[in-house]
Amino acid sequence: MVNIYFYIVEYFKYSPKIIQFLWALSAVFVLIIISLSIYLNHLRVRLRAKERIKAVYQKKYESDLIEYLYSGNEVDEISYEQQIIIDYLNKCAKSSLKRKIIISTLLKLKDEISGETSDAIQRLYCQTGLVHYASSKLKSKKWDVIAKGINELAQFEIKEAHNDVIEHIDHPKREVRKEIQMYSVKLFRFDGLEFLNILTTQLSEWDQIQLLEILQKFESQNMPDITKWLQSSNDSVVSFALKLAKIYNQYEAKEHIVALLNHSSQEIRIESITVLSNFGDIDTSVVLKNDFNQRSIEEQVAIFKMIEDLNDTSDIPFLLEHVNNSNFEIKVLATKILKELNNREDNNIRLITTDIEYSEKTGLIKAS
Amino acid sequence: MDLNTSKLIIDLIQYFFIFFTVTAILSYLILAIISVFENGNYMKKNSFVNYKDILSSSISPSISIIAPAYNETLNIVENVRSLLSNHYVNYDVIIVNDGSKDDSLEKLIKAYDLVKVDYIINNQIPTKPLREGVFKSTNPAFEKLIVVDKQNGGKADALNTGLNISPNKYVACIDVDCLLLEDSLLKMIKPFLEATDSKVIASGGVIRIANSCTIRDGKLIDVNLPGNLLVRGQILEYLRAFLLGRMAWSRLNGLLVISGAFGMFDKKIAIEVGGYDTKTVGEDMEIIVRMRRHMEEQKIKYKVAYIPDPLCWTEAPDNYKTFISQRNRWTRGTIETLRKHKKIGFNPKYKSLGVISYPYWMIYERLAPIIEVAGIIYFIFLFVNKAIKWDYALAFLFVAYLFTILFSIITILTEELTSHQYKKKGVGFHLITTAFLEPIINHPVILYAAVKGNFDYYFNKEKKWGEMVRKGMNKAQK
Repeated sequence: MVNIYFYIVEYFKYSPKIIQFLWALSAVFVLIIISLSIYLNHLRVRLRAKERIKAVYQKKYESDLIEYLYSGNEVDEISYEQQIIIDYLNKCAKSSLKRKIIISTLLKLKDEISGETSDAIQRLYCQTGLVHYASSKLKSKKWDVIAKGINELAQFEIKEAHNDVIEHIDHPKREVRKEIQMYSVKLFRFDGLEFLNILTTQLSEWDQIQLLEILQKFESQNMPDITKWLQSSNDSVVSFALKLAKIYNQYEAKEHIVALLNHSSQEIRIESITVLSNFGDIDTSVVLKNDFNQRSIEEQVAIFKMIEDLNDTSDIPFLLEHVNNSNFEIKVLATKILKELNNREDNNIRLITTDIEYSEKTGLIKAS
Repeated sequence: MDLNTSKLIIDLIQYFFIFFTVTAILSYLILAIISVFENGNYMKKNSFVNYKDILSSSISPSISIIAPAYNETLNIVENVRSLLSNHYVNYDVIIVNDGSKDDSLEKLIKAYDLVKVDYIINNQIPTKPLREGVFKSTNPAFEKLIVVDKQNGGKADALNTGLNISPNKYVACIDVDCLLLEDSLLKMIKPFLEATDSKVIASGGVIRIANSCTIRDGKLIDVNLPGNLLVRGQILEYLRAFLLGRMAWSRLNGLLVISGAFGMFDKKIAIEVGGYDTKTVGEDMEIIVRMRRHMEEQKIKYKVAYIPDPLCWTEAPDNYKTFISQRNRWTRGTIETLRKHKKIGFNPKYKSLGVISYPYWMIYERLAPIIEVAGIIYFIFLFVNKAIKWDYALAFLFVAYLFTILFSIITILTEELTSHQYKKKGVGFHLITTAFLEPIINHPVILYAAVKGNFDYYFNKEKKWGEMVRKGMNKAQK
């Protein structure tokens, strides 16, 4: 054994540099492989343990929360039983893992219920001191911690943190700014949209859907004046305002939306056509038909979709003009609308039913 | 040839192999570092995203799932049910029965109350004609389902039919037997909706291997590590490619391939470039390269996005015959795509696509097996001539072997730290064992398949897809 060792040492000593390097590198690799394998084993054990703990505590906290919700009385603001649970959760919240479990349990329950019970959960969030942990995240230097903090405060609707949250309004990270927008809208509803007045960055489609989803959860709201957003120099704000106009039927803003039919962005022009179609605005349909040929194919398709919803016999000459349009979608829409008009009003468009191609098409459309 | 010249040639060959190995290792390391960084970044960004709201939002964009099916009678009904159970609100499922010779269509008609409807199809991309036609369900529960029965034209042709028929802005092209996770569509659409400064033209996600996993009613119930070493080796291979490769390429905006098993596209761009190429067996890679090329030529700022979350589970070959056939096809697909788009290669006009992605794929994917075989031949030549310096050879071989193991273990660690799918006790040990065995057991087969792929490409032009015999995840993997 000793001989082998000496042989290896001698071999290594007198080998060329490259061989020495390669064997040294191999030794390093072996050491790293062993270390990583040990770490991997440790990590897997830890992750499994974490999941076990999570499952146990989640069950425990769920039953604690239900007990808390049903142990209130009309005499005290907080009953004795509730105080015991608050103290217990307060103690548990000192552990980061348990804190996460409590928060997720609270949120899960909050999502499932509404009204007074939901308010009770919100109160419990504050009573257990969890709100302080979230607020302290706002002072972090890490952007993701700040964003998580704002997200949590928004989910529990903590208005008191507004001043601290708004301090990050110009945060360089988009995700933080986005969370502030969600926070504002979730807590202050339409008033929270004030940030649109000064927004210079683009509001992505994803952000817009999220904001609209938050807004749609609230009932009986006072819709603010959207005209200033319709006139914004930020295209994404205009697009968002158009979505608001469509969802909340902002007919009062019609004139401003009509003005957008000549906006520099094609997407906004198309969205405007869709919103006006939604309003049932026949006047615009007439205007659009007049400058139809000056518009892009995508706009022309949008115009036809508008006519599909708002048509009468006066559209027939225009539709006949486009039965053989080179664009497939326009051609199909024109034929489809003519067919509908034909069914609705037994009139002169019978004339074109002698066209074999038309007959075939309408036959197809009938069944599609 | 004098002795000195022979020695010089031998030295040059040696230096070439050393240079190739060192640069390959360096490129893997660089890609791995970028991937680890990007995975962390992705996790940070998505740890507090509320997917639930968008999932149920009626204003979220509509997506068509296009799934070609050929002789899938074994599991077609269950697979379609799985596709119909996605939690996303605005989507439809287009099953393109690509001239199946079995009773797939009859089974679908019966299971989903389908009736034939007349349907106007805008044939923007030429495809094989319809056979029985288009079917829709009379049952409102399956209103999202459209079944198209057409003449056989291959996977690409079937996907093109789906592109023609889809009424939506976004299309998700998938293999019909793939199992999509409930939030997969949402995660895939997110990059398209988030982009404000560039256009996202396609997105892809992590594909996981479902062999031995428990799947019930189209849902993944339990994740297991298969006993079959060939499949286990593929699991490691997939993890390496998806977690430590594609993530980095996405960061460099140089992703050249989105798995054919599951990818999402901007339909308008996909149609603008002419859809899938029916003449190649690597249509999934080819369409991405073509779309990227198109965007570069149009000078439009674009991105191909990548999601490092496991979104789709698929069945991997569990026998050598099917495995070799699959890898043979992948090799031919790569060669066809790179040859077709050779204009891009080393061309600064195409920016990172031309000067980074293409050359990398050409050298370290396309040529790597050929260089490896050349190395083996060179080694045999030296052996026959008793010219091997064994101390050098063994040292190099050992370092290369250890590096491969190390790289696999880093991949396993990344998996544990990100998605942690293999939770069961003992799996960690089995994965590490696989990391040691895979270079000896799987790699020679992959090399053989790649060489055969090269041979078939040049000398056996008739060879097309090859058969993928599926056991079916629903029955075989419980």
